[in-house]
Amino acid sequence: MLYTVLSPYLFTDETTILPKGGDPSTNRPKRSHHQPGWVRGHQKDGGDYSKEMPKYITAGGFARARAAEVKAMLKAVTKRPASCHVFETLPKHMRRRAMSHNTKRLPRRLRLMAMKLKKKEQTRSKSRKARRRHGNLLLEFNRRQRKNIWLETHIWHAKRFHMVKKWGYCLGDRPTYKCYRPCYRAMSSHCLLQDLSYYCCIELQGEEDRLLTGLSQLTSKEAGPTFAAALCLSGRRQGSVVVYRAGQYPSQPLGPVTFLWRPRTQGSTHRQLWIWAHPTLKQVLSSINLRSVCDCSEAVVPVVVPEPSPAEVTPTVDSEPKPKTTPGAKRKRSSKDQSGPPAKKILGDGTRSPTTPVTWKSNVTCLICCLMCCSDLTMEIIRYRLIGPQSHTVITEAFEAATSCDVRFMKNKESPSSLWWPEHCKDENKMHLHQQQADVFHLLKGIFSTAELPPGTILGLTVDDPRLTLPTKKVKALPCVKERYIISTDLELVLSGVSEHCCQSFLWDRSVRDNVIDNKISEQELNRMRSEVLVPGSRLPVPPQGRVPVLLVHQPGKQVGHEMSSWGAGWDLLLPKGWGMAFWVPLVYRGVRIGGLNMSLKHSQNKSAPHFPHDYPDCPAGVHFQEEQEAELLDKFKRRPPAKRTNYIKHGCLAPFCCPWQQLAEEWEHITREGGEEREGAGRSRTTTEADTVMEGRWRPLVRMNRKSLRLLSGWCKPTTSKGQRACRLRLPPPSLDLSAVKSFLTSHRMTLVWVRLSLLSGGKPELHGIVCVPTSEDLKQLKSSKKAAAPSLPSDKTVEKETELSSASDPNIPITSSSPLDLVLGLWPDPLPSVASHCSRLTLGWVTQGDFSLSAGCGEALGFVSVPGLLNTLQNQPMEHRGTVLLRNPTSLQYRFAKINTRSEPMHKFSYCQ
Amino acid sequence: MVRIKSRHLLCEINVTDRNCLLLLDDRAVLAAVKDTVLRMHGDYGAAPLCFLCVFLVKYLNAHTGIVFLRFPKNCYKLLWSALPFITSIESRGHKISCFFNCLHVGGTIRTCQKFLIRYNTQQLHRMLPKCKNEEEKQEIRQAILNCSLLRGKKEAFEEASESEEDEEE
Repeated sequence: MLYTVLSPYLFTDETTILPKGGDPSTNRPKRSHHQPGWVRGHQKDGGDYSKEMPKYITAGGFARARAAEVKAMLKAVTKRPASCHVFETLPKHMRRRAMSHNTKRLPRRLRLMAMKLKKKEQTRSKSRKARRRHGNLLLEFNRRQRKNIWLETHIWHAKRFHMVKKWGYCLGDRPTYKCYRPCYRAMSSHCLLQDLSYYCCIELQGEEDRLLTGLSQLTSKEAGPTFAAALCLSGRRQGSVVVYRAGQYPSQPLGPVTFLWRPRTQGSTHRQLWIWAHPTLKQVLSSINLRSVCDCSEAVVPVVVPEPSPAEVTPTVDSEPKPKTTPGAKRKRSSKDQSGPPAKKILGDGTRSPTTPVTWKSNVTCLICCLMCCSDLTMEIIRYRLIGPQSHTVITEAFEAATSCDVRFMKNKESPSSLWWPEHCKDENKMHLHQQQADVFHLLKGIFSTAELPPGTILGLTVDDPRLTLPTKKVKALPCVKERYIISTDLELVLSGVSEHCCQSFLWDRSVRDNVIDNKISEQELNRMRSEVLVPGSRLPVPPQGRVPVLLVHQPGKQVGHEMSSWGAGWDLLLPKGWGMAFWVPLVYRGVRIGGLNMSLKHSQNKSAPHFPHDYPDCPAGVHFQEEQEAELLDKFKRRPPAKRTNYIKHGCLAPFCCPWQQLAEEWEHITREGGEEREGAGRSRTTTEADTVMEGRWRPLVRMNRKSLRLLSGWCKPTTSKGQRACRLRLPPPSLDLSAVKSFLTSHRMTLVWVRLSLLSGGKPELHGIVCVPTSEDLKQLKSSKKAAAPSLPSDKTVEKETELSSASDPNIPITSSSPLDLVLGLWPDPLPSVASHCSRLTLGWVTQGDFSLSAGCGEALGFVSVPGLLNTLQNQPMEHRGTVLLRNPTSLQYRFAKINTRSEPMHKFSYCQ
Repeated sequence: MVRIKSRHLLCEINVTDRNCLLLLDDRAVLAAVKDTVLRMHGDYGAAPLCFLCVFLVKYLNAHTGIVFLRFPKNCYKLLWSALPFITSIESRGHKISCFFNCLHVGGTIRTCQKFLIRYNTQQLHRMLPKCKNEEEKQEIRQAILNCSLLRGKKEAFEEASESEEDEEE
């Protein structure tokens, strides 16, 4: 083209621009669709000018029209060209070499603009050396973590991972290198490490009875064991529950939490409880529920220690006393540093202001020991998760139980030491306990696989600083193979777990925690010690401050299904804050793989366990997640040109980006009710009234069920395990699926969804938001006639296409000439969705929320939700040998595939102990 | 740089009845020019106009009657010579009698714009002493003052947006 288009509002090649609004010659009221300013294009309805024209013109109008034009022209002339270089406005013969470098070579009229441009660039770039200087770097880091909290391993992760900002944290999503399969292999044969420090810990303290009565409002016994389960209460096991809004048991679930009780101390009923929750849960959980339940309303504003003057801070930051003989340049810099604000590394939550209350006390303080206290320990405790059968090997190799202090220290420190460990060494009882814990820890080495231990076992421990035993090279931790279970204690550990007193740890003590955090040896000091060792590379002596209390918590693996049982078991490592990197690097040096958020999703998927925000559509966090996901997927979809998009209308997929659970449940409720009416009209009036009452309230899909009904349901739909094998373990005959039983079941669960696992019988990989459908009897016949389960797959579903085309032709909203083109996205159904259940040729039961080829099962596996009435209806109509067979179809394909349905045999969170 | 060279004619459309001016649109002007050229120079003259990317109405202000016409450079004189023969423009079923007054011939749109700025301000300045009453005078004065861009405000806005960007990361 000849000219760059100077202004998009003024000049285009095809159209002329007519000034419309701000009409200078008339003062008629502006019409609604006439935007002020310049409007491009032809005006179709511009024929009515003559009516509004004045009879005569005034000099004022004439002048104003000229003035407006001049203004527009001026704007167009002075506008910078699209390129960022000023000198491009110059004709060629006036350009000079290195004009962008030296602005004085530009003509004077352009100099100002160029200077401004150059200044903007310069502000950003200090020299790299200056930017990387330690203090400046820290300042920069602190600035960047003002909005989103950084974990302690952030820098490590940021170098290797794709980072995402989620839930107010910066988290690693997936590594930049390809490692999907290696990570899976690590989970199933060695060890995968994750930083889960973003999980929030809430501490409750108080009288045991009062705590339990308060917490009982959040859970119910019908849904499984609660906070009061005996093994958990003793502190020997970690428990997990789904919490509800206080006192609202079946209706308003919040989400799953895990909890740890501190073991009892003799003669005291004062207990301490840690509740670990997902960050999306934390706000509502801590602020509304726990505080109200424990009536802790009185906020304890932390005492803000006035910021110590820089001179005081510097020695604490690097404990090494500054030698006098520093070179002059360095001394100058240090003095300069002191003049500026001291850059201090942020430990813990950087976004929280120091005056925000983190502890709430109950205002009822009748007795001293009766005081209840709820405090927010977010980012105070670090949590690392090791997944895999060899995680105990990694732990035992990386850490060593703390060695007791030398007699030397004991002797010359009669006065109480400032460090916690020498103090503890003086106490016989504590040392005895420590010895026992260390023995148990040594026993761990001999275990064959992490999964052998009872799930949820807790082991308290004090370990040496793991940096002292850091190997020079990365080595893979290998299990030490030995004759198994010679020692009876070994067997006892496997059978009954760790005894109660060994679960005690000093990590629970805030004072010890603070002491450990404050007295951490800096990396610099450690390196100095290393350089001073006589034989390079030999072991360092353990300094007195190098002991850290930790808690090891066993995580159960796969608990449902019959194959790969207890896959993905592992250990959680709880540490005091500030020690994150000190423990992270030694673990990494033991040859573990590191996973991000993506891997934790895959972990739970392979484990057939629901993942928190994804698989909880009834919780507020889950609803929020779904909305976010929908927006994200829709945005991604819209970025493609319409011709290159998947046409979901033609694929018969109503809702490819979100799952309208409520509509589905309502429709199935309607379908079953109609079916019931045909059979008998007696129960009709009752059902309708009940349904109406349900409809009136703001309804969310009910997902959670009590244990009994879940067992019944899973019995009904489980004649076989996945992949068509007979369940050998199932000794009981499946409960009979007669009409009365179903009817009684349905009355209580009319609008409920149930979480199911689907495993494909033949090939195929289920995807997100795939559709679960009811097979017709012909489909089942086809399945039966061809012996191999892989063979019968439906031909490309012509009926679907035809139907949708028909419906789209009849539907006035579908055509492109729709009245509202703004909210219409090509290739998607417009908003008021038609009936979702009976949209395709096969009735829709539900949708898939996670689906992938499962490496552990060796076939495509999907997790999703189906409507309970729909499922029962399907089961009833199916012959015994094909009971529980459904069809699965991806949103982008027309191919149906047979899948086997499994409801879990235990409630969503099987309690983590085995009897 | 290789480019197709063209000439831009800055013309003023003078109409007898000013009310008709608002009826104008670019297609009407284009058609009128084409017709006249065909009439005056026959097929030989009309041929260059077939290249629509070169022959265009780049700008039309219906309030002031200013129009930018783009002609191919090699034959712009031929086409220019046809312009005085335009006596009427047919637009939206109305016949607007008018004539074209060419004010400036430029090589780029930019020069035309610069000329137009100069020309319009000059016109306004010329109008000022001829005003009949105080009110008119005031209005024209105001119009002249409006002829400049407000520099300071715009820059301040830009600065603010930049500092916002810095915060992000």
